Amino acid sequence: MPMYGDLGNKLVQHAKRTQILPHLPPYQTELVRTVTREVRDLHRDVDSLLEPFQGSFDPAADPASACTLLVNHLSMRRNKRCLLAYHRTRTEKLEVLVWNGSDVLDLSAQQAGGANGVPGANDGGTSSLSPQEEDYVRQYGDLLAAYKGQWTDVDLTGSLEPARDLFIDVRVLKDAGEIQTEYGAINLTKNSQFYVRQGDVERLIAQGYLQKLG
Amino acid sequence: MDIDDILRDVDPVIHTIPREKRDLQDLTRAWVAERSAPELLHWPSDGLFERINNSIRRQIEKVEEMTGDMDPKTNFALIVIQTELERFKYLVRSYLRARIAKIDRHTLHYLSSDELRSRLSEMELAYATRHQALLHNHYLSSFLSSFPPGLQNLNDTAGNISMIDTPDLESAVFIRLLRDTLVEGRGVDSDGRLEMEESDIVILRWADAKPLVQLGNAELV
Amino acid sequence: MSYYDVDSILTDAEKIPCTFQFDIPDLGYLENNPGQTLKTGARVGLPLWLAEMLAIANTGGIGPDDQGKSFVAFDLPPALGNDVMQALKADPRAIPIRDQSAHFYSLATHMMDLSDEPELGTVLRKTFVTRAGEIALHARKAGGGGSSKGGASEEGSNLGVGGAGEEFLRGLDEWERKLFRKAHDGARAGKEWMEGVKKF
Repeated sequence: MPMYGDLGNKLVQHAKRTQILPHLPPYQTELVRTVTREVRDLHRDVDSLLEPFQGSFDPAADPASACTLLVNHLSMRRNKRCLLAYHRTRTEKLEVLVWNGSDVLDLSAQQAGGANGVPGANDGGTSSLSPQEEDYVRQYGDLLAAYKGQWTDVDLTGSLEPARDLFIDVRVLKDAGEIQTEYGAINLTKNSQFYVRQGDVERLIAQGYLQKLG
Repeated sequence: MDIDDILRDVDPVIHTIPREKRDLQDLTRAWVAERSAPELLHWPSDGLFERINNSIRRQIEKVEEMTGDMDPKTNFALIVIQTELERFKYLVRSYLRARIAKIDRHTLHYLSSDELRSRLSEMELAYATRHQALLHNHYLSSFLSSFPPGLQNLNDTAGNISMIDTPDLESAVFIRLLRDTLVEGRGVDSDGRLEMEESDIVILRWADAKPLVQLGNAELV
Repeated sequence: MSYYDVDSILTDAEKIPCTFQFDIPDLGYLENNPGQTLKTGARVGLPLWLAEMLAIANTGGIGPDDQGKSFVAFDLPPALGNDVMQALKADPRAIPIRDQSAHFYSLATHMMDLSDEPELGTVLRKTFVTRAGEIALHARKAGGGGSSKGGASEEGSNLGVGGAGEEFLRGLDEWERKLFRKAHDGARAGKEWMEGVKKF
């Protein structure tokens, strides 16, 4: 017989899998509903246990009831933790997608449509997101846009790789004529030095026209 | 007393370095420290980022002006400026992203006291507050609102585990000493005390390193 | 330990053998007997999150026999039992600890907080240190893999993927897996950096 908290644990196992998967698996609507219901049932049990005492329950006089109450309380708290961790794991994943600039809502619809062999296997939904998650993605997108807007010149969602290798110093070993770069033409005469975009001159270095300095 | 004051003592030359250059040094130092420290550090309150933002804007304008010019000499200068600009932007971006990542991981913690809130910039504070509200709202609409009222909080610290996650201040960092200092660190079996010299590099727990960094005796590397 | 941490929550689901010290009328379901009284002396495997609190809660019992008695007494789970400890003493590397528990160390440290088992701590520490060294070796091998020019000194190692190495890696618990990934990424980043340096 399953005990309280077992289903919550199932949710957390889903969360663990979600962390590893490259995509976001479908929202466990039914499981979330059941675990939530379990909390309400437990709370009702607590109320009915306490009812005869009219607010004057003394745990010391009745350790058996005290134990039952404690088990119920702990089970509710456990379910709450499982539900929160499950939802937080998913929102974290969604936030990463928003930062990356993916069209999350569109993406999730495609995924659910393509990956699911059996149509309607997931309560007929077309999205792996719950409606609440879709709202969340929209709102977080707005929040991020507002924060980014204060740093438009920096482009916050830009690359986090340092631009270290972008430009290099080169010395011209043999006359190589004129090359075109993004910044216009450079005339490569022997013994002159330039600071250029590496991508523009890589071939000339390989051919021995230029020498990389530094 | 901040690091600038100390550096000025140690090396009076630094005092004469132009502001823009010093700002770039400060930015680089803040970036290194923020990426090493396990917890969020203070947002610089001396207007550093306002100045840096302005300087970035000026450089962008300069680049736009020069782009029309076809003189090769100008083109060369343009490349230099553009590279410098990319580097500036990268530092700011990486610094801000490191901070946002920390704030997102422990939002409630950083919102929980005035001391902690004061570490955030105004924009970060607005972001964190709103993000937390969005999350709470998401939990409420997904399941939490049908819980008994006493169980709807997200900030209970009672029970055997607090709901407010905090950064791990015991994780290890590298520091470089800026002056000769006695370094004390706690180990697993025994604690260590060591007289160390300027520019020595040590690895120890952030909780032990923090006072040294705050006093300006060491910096994170 | 963190509230939202998935591994921490899964650790708390590990079952601990418990013995009830009271008759509890409403908890028969824990023993697969819903509606029946759970009797004093009943042995039930309870998840850590429940066992822990029932073991440390103050029952406040006022009867002569009840004073200072907790709701349940617990034993170490089999994963930390004598057989496993003896085997770990013999050779820490030979045991796939994942088969004992996917959250072996996390469970162990939790149990050590709850009970006074000095020997457990000693054995686990030696286990961890020995295995961590082994993990680092595997990680370096995997991380530096591919073009092994100049890595001739490692050629003779038997840590290649496949065989004993693969079986060892399969037996890592979650925490060790994280360590392996970090060591692996570190080794790879180190290698990339060295290659970057060579270019200049």
